[in-house]
Order: sequence, then C-alpha cells, then structure tokens
Amino acid sequence: MAGEPSAKKEKKRVPLVEGLFTWPSNQPALIASRCKKCGAVAFPKAAYCPNPDCEKDPQNMEVIQLSRRGKLWSWTIQFYSPPPPFKMEPFKPYAIGMVDLPEGVRVLGMLTTTENIKCDMEVELTVGKLYEDGENEYITWMWKPVEK
Amino acid sequence: MERDVAIIGVGMTPWGRYPDPKQPAAFPDLTMPELAVEALKKAIKDAGISWRQVEAMVSGVYLWVSQQAGIHGTLSGTAIANLMGYTGIPIVSVANACATGQSILREAVLAVASGECDIAVAVAADKSAFGFFRPQSTDGRADIDYMRFVMCGETNPAYWAMECRRRMYEAGTTEEDLALVKVVTSKTAPYNPYARYRRTFTLEEVLKSPMVCDPLRLYEICATSDGAAAVVVAEYEKAKKICKKPVYINAVTVGTPTFGDPTVRLTYLSSNKRSGVPNLSESRNAVRKVYKMAGIGPDKVDVIELPDNSSWHYFAYLDCILNLDPGEPEKMLRKGETDPVSGKIPVCPSAGLGAFGEAVVAQGLAQVCELVWQLRGEAGERQVRKEIKYALAQTYGYAGNNAACILSKGW
Repeated sequence: MAGEPSAKKEKKRVPLVEGLFTWPSNQPALIASRCKKCGAVAFPKAAYCPNPDCEKDPQNMEVIQLSRRGKLWSWTIQFYSPPPPFKMEPFKPYAIGMVDLPEGVRVLGMLTTTENIKCDMEVELTVGKLYEDGENEYITWMWKPVEK
Repeated sequence: MERDVAIIGVGMTPWGRYPDPKQPAAFPDLTMPELAVEALKKAIKDAGISWRQVEAMVSGVYLWVSQQAGIHGTLSGTAIANLMGYTGIPIVSVANACATGQSILREAVLAVASGECDIAVAVAADKSAFGFFRPQSTDGRADIDYMRFVMCGETNPAYWAMECRRRMYEAGTTEEDLALVKVVTSKTAPYNPYARYRRTFTLEEVLKSPMVCDPLRLYEICATSDGAAAVVVAEYEKAKKICKKPVYINAVTVGTPTFGDPTVRLTYLSSNKRSGVPNLSESRNAVRKVYKMAGIGPDKVDVIELPDNSSWHYFAYLDCILNLDPGEPEKMLRKGETDPVSGKIPVCPSAGLGAFGEAVVAQGLAQVCELVWQLRGEAGERQVRKEIKYALAQTYGYAGNNAACILSKGW
C-alpha cells in the first residue's frame, strides 16, 4: 500500500487508554472524581470515596478535572524498556515523576524530558506520543517543566 | 494469642532458576508445587515429624499466573497436597504479594493459637526469575495496574528510584551510601548455601554497574528468583516435647496502609495526602503491631532481616523498624553498626534479597528460616557475633501489603 496518500495524511492522536484525560483539547486535564462530603480525590475516577469514614455511596462522588499545574515530588529515568504490554516506539530512556496537585492528590506520569529535572519544580500537564500505527498516534499524559 | 506457638522446623531450596541448564543437578526442572514439596519435606524432617502429623497447611499463591503455572499456581495448597498425598486437612491458599511469606506464617500460627490444631505448616514456592514485573491483564478499562503500566511505563525499580531520589533530596543520602548497602549486605553472601549470588561486591564495581532507574544501579536492586521455603509451627508445650530448640513466636502480623498516606503505591496511579499520615504506612502499621504484641520496643531488637529489594529499601525499612529519621540509617551503615555479622544491630545476615534475588511469595519465609538458624546458633560463618534475644523480620509487598514477625529462643 506504499505511496497511498493516507501515508502522508496527518495521523489522528488517540489516547492509548480512553477517559483518563480530557481529549481532544489544547489544555488537557486529568479526569478524576472527588467526594462531595470529605474532598478526597480518586484518579482515575472511582465509584466510591476512598475515605474509610465516608459512606460508600456513588452519589457522593463528582467528576472533576484536576489542576493542570503541580509540583514535582520526585522523578527517575527508566533506562531499559519495560516488557509488554508497555509499548514505546522507538524506545528511548524516559523520565517518570510523581506530582503533587492543589487538590491534595499525588499523581504519577511520564515527563516530556530527561534533562534538567529537579525535585519541587513546577510542571504542567500535556500529552506525548508512545507509538503509532498506520492510522493513529497513541498518546498518554505527560508532565512538562514550566519555563521560568 | 489464646495459645503460645513456636517454630519446630524450617526448610528451603537454594534460590536460583529452576531449571538452570548450567547446573541441572542443583537446579532441576521443577514445577512450582514440586519446588514447594522440596522445601516442605526439609521442614518436616527438620521438625522430626511426618506429613501425617501436619494438621493444617497454608500456601502462598503465585502472582504471575498468566505467564506460567496456571491454576496450580493459584490453588497452590491443594496442588502441593496432591503431590504430598491428600490427608484431608484444612488447606488455604493466600496471596499478599511479597508479604505472602509472613502472611501465611500468621495464618498457620492463628490455626494453632486458636486451638483448631496443634501442628500447622506454611509453605510457598515461586518461579519469578525473569525481568521487570508487569500487569496481569490486558484490559485498560478495568485494571488500574494495566493503565499505570502502559500510560506511565512505571516499573518496580522506577517506583523505588523515585522514593530514593526524594530521600537523597531531603535526607542527603549519597550515591556512595546506596552502593555501600550492597557492599555490606553481600559480606555474608559467600557463606549462604541458599543464596543465588554467592559473592561479595566492591564499592567501585557497584558504582560502575549500569544505571537502571536513576539513581538506582543494577547492583543496587534485587533480581527475581525461583525458590521455595516452609515453616512448621506447633503449640508451644507440644513444641518443647518435639524439639530441643523451639523458636518462640512473640508476634506475627500483616500491615496495610492508612488512608491519607502520600505514597503512590505500585499498581496505582495516585494517592490522597492527609496531614499527619506518614509514608509507607502499611510497613509502619505492621511493625507497630508486632512490637505491641511482643511487648518490646525497637531498642530490644538484636538482629533484623529486612526487604532490601533495593538500596533505598534498606534505609527506608531501617526507618520503619527502628523508628529513625531518614539519614540516621545511612550514618549507622557508614559506622558499621548494621554489619550483618559484627554490627551493633546486624541487618540481613542471610545476605538479603540482594544475594537471593526475590522469589516473591517465598521470600518472607526465607527470612524466617534465617532467623531460626540464627537463634539456634546454626548459621555457621553467618552467625551474628552478639547474643540474640529478639529477632525481627519484615517483608514489603507491593500494592499495600506488608508483614512482620518477632521471634525469640523458646528453650
């Protein structure tokens, strides 16, 4: 099928797992749930409040978008490719971090860079590519250092 | 507990890879239930009893079912009984991740302490000897662990490395401290016939080993191994009649997290932070409980087996077990106070997970085997120099599982 126009067509960017962040969007945000009674946040969305003192009533949980900016609690660089089902093509070492958000939740995610990363730096949510096939680019959420 | 309980027999297989084509005599091709039988028959022989005398059994459940072992990895208890010969006793199979070993010891102890029976056995086998752990489903809608893995690429060492980096940032732990953990824990490795990597390491070679997850290097994280271990427990008065050196179980428990703990646990994507709740709460909860059960504090512990899955764990678990501030365990290590044989508080005389590689569900029982040999004075070149009154083992399981026990001489 080489040479078909579709090869040149811009590929659709698709979240590898749907429903975790707002998409399509110029300002993607993680989708979580929050307890209306105690404010506890669950990411990804959960049917029940994780607070042991709250009623397990799904009615108490509201869907929210988490703040797009937070503080990088810590990070690492993964130098070897994890086994399937993880897929990154082409593989190159990537950074992973844990980010503290104003909602009182700490969230995991890849970083957009492996350079000049520091604990407690400000980061912002964006998206980045894991791999692509003939039709789509498969994306995930990523934390990007905020330029000072 | 209603009735006192003691350990009357322990047994384990050498840790390695079954089969190992390079050493087929020492590491033959054994299934997981077969590997369990090898450990079980040693423990029963050590106790001087027969299989017919075992009145209850608790078995560890293998976690990586989709790769190998199938249903007999999950229903491991009855699969082992099928090989040993059915005797009609109560058998339960338990999965608590890496904390499984001491979780099943607890179940065996409770069976005896409650008066249900007088002799029970905990047994676990594991064939984990391959690379990074991974999710066990292919479902991105129902499995948070799957989402975490494909969306964030977080391996177990990546999680450990993030905790480690924050510790370096806050407590000033150095790269040399991390390497020194391997140097010190590997001191006894040549003398442990059950260890997989039976050699010592120099600071230089550890610091030159490849970076796996910055700041953790290859020799600062444990491998995954195959292995099996078993522990036989009996009602204390009966135990004293059966053997000369029953090892008294002062306490054994399981810890789970406290809501509000900031730790983003492996297999999860987020955590809720609540002020006043410490990190690693599953571990702190288990340790606090065993001290309370035993009626002692950290100052009474004479020897420790802890889960040194990585150099970070070594320090973090000394924080938890000895109730120290981050930075203090590093100082103790530098001063030689945690030397596995001659230390003020010897840590990991077995040579630890670094020398074994983790056989996940069996590892907690392997720690108990070592402490039993240490208490009986049977550890040979690894025997700690000081007199041991109380020995403590703790295992850390991912996804919020932990277990700990305190043992002492029962003779």
